[in-house]
Amino acid sequence: MSQSQPLTADQPRPPRAKADPAGSPFPEQSHTTVSGRPIKPLYSAADSAGPHEEVDDERPGQYPFKRGVHATMYRGRLWTMRQFAGFGTPRQTNERFKFLIEKGQTGLSTAFDLPTLMGLDSDSPRATGEVGRLGVALDTLNDMLALFEGINLEQASVSMTINAPAIIVMAFYLAAAEERGFDWRKLSGTIQNDILKEFHAQNEFVFPPEPSVRLACDVIEFCARNVPRWNPVSISGYHIREAGSTAAQELAFTLADGFHYVDQCVARGIAVDDFAPRLSFFFNSHNDLFEEVAKYRAARVLWAETLRNRYGARNEASWKLRCHAQTAGCSLHDKQPELNLIRVAYQALAAVLGGCQSLHTNSMDEALSLPSEHAVTLALRTQQVLAYETGVTNTADPLGGSYFVEALTNELKADATKYFERIAAAGGMIAATEAGFFRREIAEAAFAYQREVDARRKLIVGVNAFVEPDEEPLEVRNVDIQVEKEQIAALQNVRARASKTEIQSCLDDVRRAAATNQNLVEVIIAAAKVRASVEQIMNALADVFGRHEAKIA
Amino acid sequence: MENPNRQRIVLAKVGLDGHDRGIKVVARGLRDAGFHVIYAGIWQSPEAVVRAVADEDADWLGLSLLSGAHMTLVPRVMELLRSAGLGDVQVLVGGIIPEQDVAALKQLGVAQVFGPGTTIDEIGHFLRERPNRSHPAPAESTAKGDRNTLSRLVSAAARGESPDTNRLPAGTAAPHVIAVTGGGGVGKSTLIGKLIEVIRAAGRKVAVLACDPRSPITGGALLGDRIRMPSRPDDDSLFIRSLATPSGQSGVAPHVDRMVDLFGRFEYDTVIVETVGAGQGDTAIRDVADVVCVLVQPETGDELQWEKAGQLEIADIVVVHKADLPSAEYVESQIREHLNLPGCRPVPIVRVSSSKSIGVPELWDAIEEALESHGSRGTM
Repeated sequence: MSQSQPLTADQPRPPRAKADPAGSPFPEQSHTTVSGRPIKPLYSAADSAGPHEEVDDERPGQYPFKRGVHATMYRGRLWTMRQFAGFGTPRQTNERFKFLIEKGQTGLSTAFDLPTLMGLDSDSPRATGEVGRLGVALDTLNDMLALFEGINLEQASVSMTINAPAIIVMAFYLAAAEERGFDWRKLSGTIQNDILKEFHAQNEFVFPPEPSVRLACDVIEFCARNVPRWNPVSISGYHIREAGSTAAQELAFTLADGFHYVDQCVARGIAVDDFAPRLSFFFNSHNDLFEEVAKYRAARVLWAETLRNRYGARNEASWKLRCHAQTAGCSLHDKQPELNLIRVAYQALAAVLGGCQSLHTNSMDEALSLPSEHAVTLALRTQQVLAYETGVTNTADPLGGSYFVEALTNELKADATKYFERIAAAGGMIAATEAGFFRREIAEAAFAYQREVDARRKLIVGVNAFVEPDEEPLEVRNVDIQVEKEQIAALQNVRARASKTEIQSCLDDVRRAAATNQNLVEVIIAAAKVRASVEQIMNALADVFGRHEAKIA
Repeated sequence: MENPNRQRIVLAKVGLDGHDRGIKVVARGLRDAGFHVIYAGIWQSPEAVVRAVADEDADWLGLSLLSGAHMTLVPRVMELLRSAGLGDVQVLVGGIIPEQDVAALKQLGVAQVFGPGTTIDEIGHFLRERPNRSHPAPAESTAKGDRNTLSRLVSAAARGESPDTNRLPAGTAAPHVIAVTGGGGVGKSTLIGKLIEVIRAAGRKVAVLACDPRSPITGGALLGDRIRMPSRPDDDSLFIRSLATPSGQSGVAPHVDRMVDLFGRFEYDTVIVETVGAGQGDTAIRDVADVVCVLVQPETGDELQWEKAGQLEIADIVVVHKADLPSAEYVESQIREHLNLPGCRPVPIVRVSSSKSIGVPELWDAIEEALESHGSRGTM
């Protein structure tokens, strides 16, 4: 039966096994994107016309930046190859950083361990078994100094993935830079500092939503004034997608988070053009190539239009949505793990065709453990092959004007706009967050996808199709349990030498400032300098803000 | 009638890792496959997980870990299960577990490890193929105050059995039964969570029966109320049981009266019953409760939910929940108007915000007052 003769009601459905002898062995496979979006067999000019039909006028580097934020895109400047790294003690991660720089990596990206992400010290009882495991442990300013030892912070572009305690880690970084004689105005890099998506998706929150957002905005405000080349927030859809959202949800929720930060900063009286140019984004790059490309394009248009029209931004830099992308960790599998290399390569292609400014490619062994050096090297080489061999960098927005991609771009824009309306109807960002709106939407999408996979309407090679019966397990690396002991010993050594009275007095200042509207960065830098630990400062903040319990499934 | 062989599984994430996509998908999938799933949430300590298994009389415990801390946390859970007399509960582990650790976990007694790419059907098949947990017959072990005995007796009562309670101590007089009812999303579990703190501070021993709907088609249920209540694993005077409740008009699981009697024999003086909250006139709750608290919340729409529900007729106390919302005052005045009809008994209205911790002690005072004025239903 050919595609052009669809089944009608009076034709008996042929038995499944004989459905299409020349076609797919998986007749149930659905023609939808990985997000469940139905896709037509063919797209033509009628599908791709935007509401204003101004496609011809659109140029990369010009408002609304659908075709890219720079006029020449990668011809002018290649994306930054930024591999996320971090494990064990600060000294071990410092060695990994130096290894990556030697291999040609152009930006550093720091992963912290779970205790640090949750604002706990390495000797907290809740940290047992988790110290240095998924990232590097950070307790005091000494750890920050060790982490970047020998690296010129005025030359390196440093990214730090941290959220609930972001203000503390930023303060540690600034204190470390100052101690080493670097000028804050010359520092460049990014701190993730996006707490809203933690409530929606990743569950690494500590304080309730409102004070959490206040802390994020304190960092944005402080950096706008004192660290002008720094990106003080990386508004992240990555984790929303990893939690199982659709592409449209990732797009909508991320931008809605971004608009909320803008609202809050504007409400403080900061002019939008004084901070918006430094707001950066972080998106997922998943399997569905064309839908992903459309997502990046739609994101740029929605951001530019909203910043210009709703917030009245006049600086072009405020309109530009610059983004980091990371290939989808949730798409990786432990069956036939070498296949992950191939998945990552296509996902990286999607991010580059979508016009990202920096990119992390996952290592093939990440569904098994922390990546080995071999796997990390291959992941970086994947980007280098893409950048230097495939020719995709020769022209800006190579898919622009494709009927299909333009149609998808419009659809995603429309889907996101509908979500913005639903968020507003739920009482705005904080009310919708507290009511669990985002969590429910994401959980429903995740479940729907799993159902598709289980029914083999969505195929995963090596998992529910083309399965290999016997597989050799990949070699995986393990974090030495010595790390926990070493890190605790180092922390206790710092504690023994620090002045308890100085620390207490700085923590009192933190509490006092937290109870007012004063920006907290400066008082936390002071606490960092006298070697107050991450957990001590978190506890001082919690004394004022309270803690947010995980009470919504 | 409830299938007596229905398997109950507690799902939880231990440690700091908050990646809950997998466990939430498994929870929904197992519900649809007909299991009774009790979801205990993220950030659970090994102690809290074991307490949930004990109170829920679970056949299975499923732990999800993506943090790499499994070789620290899973052995701890296994050890605590054994020392709590729950060594016969079978344990599943899901997440990113390297090959060599899978063998080590099985050595510790873990029944199976499920990695990425596992289908829900595989997990369901595995659970069905294994024999049910071999609960010792409740009457054989009647040591006074033993939590596991109580838990098994509650299960037997939930199945409609009349366990031989002759060998149990007489316990206290019939416990006070407080029902918390109201429409879906009104915050019943959260409020009960706050009430527990107040009741425990008053030195009372409290049991909670949290009713959640059971699918009329598959018989499965996803029981998630306890996630909003404090876990307090060291507190032996708090017992929380989730009950899969058939759809229908009652809003409460069958045989609550038998369970209340059991709690009395184990010296619980207060039992809180949370109804399904589908919004029907939950008249069945009137028959088992001494005091019925009906929760309403400020609405964003035009229609007031409580008017449709007709629940105010059974209320001893009306709680305007989420009272920090701006329209709380308006809703309260509407209710007051509705209740002030001639011939109606006076019903106290209490404004509570669980999220802002406002009004909870006042609600408890109102409940105590209502208990005194109505008297108990008397001993059974």
